[in-house]
Amino acid sequence: MRQRNNGRLLAMFIPAIAVFMAFFLLPLARLAVTSALGPAGVKIYLAAIITPRYLESLVYTILLSVGVTILTLIISGIAGVFLTRNDFRGKRLLVSLLTFPLAFPGVVVGFMIILLVGRQGLIGDITQWVSGEKLVLAYSMTGLFLGYLYFSIPRTITTLMASAEKMDRNLEEAARSLGASPWRVVKDVLIPALLPGLISAGAICFATSMGAFGTAFTLATNIDVFPIVIYTEFTLMANISMAAALSIVLGLITWIALSVARAAAGDTIAAAG
Amino acid sequence: MKPPRSILFYTQLTFTLLVCAFLIVPVVQSVLAGLTENFMVGVKSGLTLRWFGQVWNLYRDTIFLSILIALACLAATLVLGVPAAYAMVKKQNRWTRLFEELLVTPLAVPGLAIALALIINYGGFTGFRKSWAFIWVGHVIFTLPFMVRSAVAVMNAVNLREFEEGAASLGAGFWRRFFQIVIPNAMPGILAGSLMVFTLSIGEFNLTWMLHTPLTKTLPVGLADSYASMRLEIGSAYTIVFFLMIIPLLMAMQWVAKPHKRKFVMEKPDHFLTPTGGSVMKPAIAAPAFPDNKEARRTMSGTSLRLVNCAKTFLDGTCALLSFNLEVRSGETVVILGPSGCGKTTLLRIIAGLESPDSGGKVFFGDEDVTHVPIEKRNVGMVFQNYALFPNMTVAENIAYGLKVRGIKSDKRARRVSEMLDMMKIGELRNRRIDQLSGGQKQRVALARALAARPRVLLLDEPLTALDAKLRDLLRVEIDVLLRSLGITAIYVTHDQSEAMALGDRIVVMNIARVVQEGAPREIYFEPRTRFVAEFIGTINRLKGRLLRGRLVLPGGSIPLPESYAVQTGENVQLELFFRPEHAVLAEPGQGHLRAAVVASFFMGDRTRLILDGSGDDYLTIETKGIHSFQKGQQVEVSIDPDALLRLDA
Ligand SMILES: Nc1ncnc2c1ncn2[C@@H]1O[C@H](COP(=O)(O)OP(=O)(O)O)[C@@H](O)[C@H]1O
Ligand SMILES: [Mg+2]
Repeated sequence: MRQRNNGRLLAMFIPAIAVFMAFFLLPLARLAVTSALGPAGVKIYLAAIITPRYLESLVYTILLSVGVTILTLIISGIAGVFLTRNDFRGKRLLVSLLTFPLAFPGVVVGFMIILLVGRQGLIGDITQWVSGEKLVLAYSMTGLFLGYLYFSIPRTITTLMASAEKMDRNLEEAARSLGASPWRVVKDVLIPALLPGLISAGAICFATSMGAFGTAFTLATNIDVFPIVIYTEFTLMANISMAAALSIVLGLITWIALSVARAAAGDTIAAAG
Repeated sequence: MKPPRSILFYTQLTFTLLVCAFLIVPVVQSVLAGLTENFMVGVKSGLTLRWFGQVWNLYRDTIFLSILIALACLAATLVLGVPAAYAMVKKQNRWTRLFEELLVTPLAVPGLAIALALIINYGGFTGFRKSWAFIWVGHVIFTLPFMVRSAVAVMNAVNLREFEEGAASLGAGFWRRFFQIVIPNAMPGILAGSLMVFTLSIGEFNLTWMLHTPLTKTLPVGLADSYASMRLEIGSAYTIVFFLMIIPLLMAMQWVAKPHKRKFVMEKPDHFLTPTGGSVMKPAIAAPAFPDNKEARRTMSGTSLRLVNCAKTFLDGTCALLSFNLEVRSGETVVILGPSGCGKTTLLRIIAGLESPDSGGKVFFGDEDVTHVPIEKRNVGMVFQNYALFPNMTVAENIAYGLKVRGIKSDKRARRVSEMLDMMKIGELRNRRIDQLSGGQKQRVALARALAARPRVLLLDEPLTALDAKLRDLLRVEIDVLLRSLGITAIYVTHDQSEAMALGDRIVVMNIARVVQEGAPREIYFEPRTRFVAEFIGTINRLKGRLLRGRLVLPGGSIPLPESYAVQTGENVQLELFFRPEHAVLAEPGQGHLRAAVVASFFMGDRTRLILDGSGDDYLTIETKGIHSFQKGQQVEVSIDPDALLRLDA
């Protein structure tokens, strides 16, 4: 009986494996091979890293992603814990609104930023009314930063709310009963308890920011984030092997970030594109 | 009255509202922009729906294509992902874990890279490259992890194994279990995964932008196009269309994720089911309705059972059972008694066919060797410790399940179910859902389900452990009456000696993977063969003394011993003897064997339990009838029945 079931279980497994092999592993392997098949050979990876244009973009993108991740964790952490801890009228609606942008593609996020801080944006109107000068941020680094925040917050809020939910309230009460000040409770109890959630949410946030394409694409900023560089390399320069090499560099960075976080959080991480 | 909120609360609320404003204000702006004549001028330019007309003319194909791809993607992830998730949950080994790891890598690799890889590998197949299937494939790879994750999570959470074993014990084969038990119980996860997959596919841009062709534009691709080349109002109207598509999806997702309130049922009805007013409890379970029906009786009374040489060593090296032999007559109730972890469940699972014995072991039902017959073909009835009732079926459907699996016609099935419901006195629960039952009611349903298909052997694994003490006593009596009137062959596993004493024709006492004693309840109690058995069943006292001139001499006195002791052991030797509390009585001063001091006394209503010090190393426990009260330190004298003294191996 056990033998028969093994066979059946294998049969249930095979279609998924086959599709996965054919349309993910094989193409990815091919991508790696392609990158090394150009005139530069394997050295293309050296070029991918040291060429100033690529390096600058990579550093920019990493800094942007790290900055966005940190700020997102602080914002979502405060809001997330607040929302799990307190009950008030309209809370459900508030949570729904905060998570609504979860399903927006990057292009829509870019458009939202244009509407908020673009040439015809609300902030521009307000600043013009207040100071007579129009503040337009959408097409600068700030605009990009805001865009990344925009798509990161809804994602992390849900994760952090889930881990705040799981937290044992007694721990906090015990700390308070032992005389800990609110700040000490946050530092000694709250943050350690949230840590796995913070790490996994942070990793997802970082990886998503690194690979984000649509937002930058819509904002058409003069700062090229790494995915845009890859895209340009592929479509405009038709430099396929360099595009492949750069994609692999990007893929490795995000993959390592997620793996490290997973090892640290001791939990599986559900990332999202 | 609610306590006033603190300043901290309002600070945090304001903060959260600001975050919300950051996210939602532009959404509102885009909705306004899509509905106004001229956004530069503002709402005073007038409201209009004409931008939607333009969007419809320019981009309606993208909407349909997005829906088509999302549906196709959903279908693919269901067909590929759900079976794979099940296989992963069932078969946890290196390979499945590796695959689980691999499966989530698309989440760690940027969409752009995946798209590039697909183009490089399959771009040459022009027909494929130009069709929407090219985008579809990308979406399937990207969304498959979400479906698998979601399904795996719920399959792990609902304790599938238990339900599946329940179904198998009722005769359901592999595919039947998959479609009738696994899928319905994993439904919340599959539903959540489906909504996620659909929503992600509708909004996917990173991959799609690379994979699309001018003829295969999806909604987000169209959006990008409109933002770049159309006036703001058209882009906004188009965005509204996108919002309208995802809002229902998001609402459905929230609804699925919300923990649905379960109807709470108090335990009370159990006690009310029976008249408990009097001193004698009358069982609620009725005697079976067919005691005189010869045919029914024959099928119910079941088969004899024989285990030969059944040992079980698990893969991790745990030896749960040493070579085990057991014979059970047809119609007999055998209780397997032993401390937790001694291998009782393993033994029961071997009989059921959920585990196979190590090679050499054999299981016979009557003369039939069933060692290699899977559980679903063994025709056993099984009551699990946590009942394993199927939450996706009502009470009646649960009871009918084994009959349905056996292909019994629905009218006959209904009759049988009613019979069982009547027998267990749970007719009014017929259409209840499982989560609306109390513990005792679940217990009755589990028994009814196990018995409905007239099993050859009824197997019960600690069926009362999950209940409170009072219910336990009540149901024990009911089960006893039931088993006796049905005359079914039954194996009852428990760690509770009082349950064992009350139920068994025969008790098999186990310790650390082996049988230590086997016999009728009286035999086990009064003639325990080892100290373990004596101590496990009831209380036993130890006397440690010296044999001198036919008496056992102790610090507090001496006890005359029967002749045989001196003959066997000789004079002046150390001797350890044991006796049960009920074999000692308090004696008048000067007439007892031992003098002792009261250490503690426990008034138990009809009797008083005394803990005494006076016989050396160990305290003695004895019980006295009557209404005396005792003080700590009070001197008493004790007489012990010499014929009830036992010698036990360690
Ligand atoms: N699937 C398994 N793999 C490894 N060890 C197991 C497995 N099932 C049970 N055991 C071990 O076998 C021993 C007997 O278990 P079990 O039969 O469940 O005991 P009982 O039901 O008497 O409490 C225990 O030590 C338990 O840890
Ligand atoms: Mg057990």
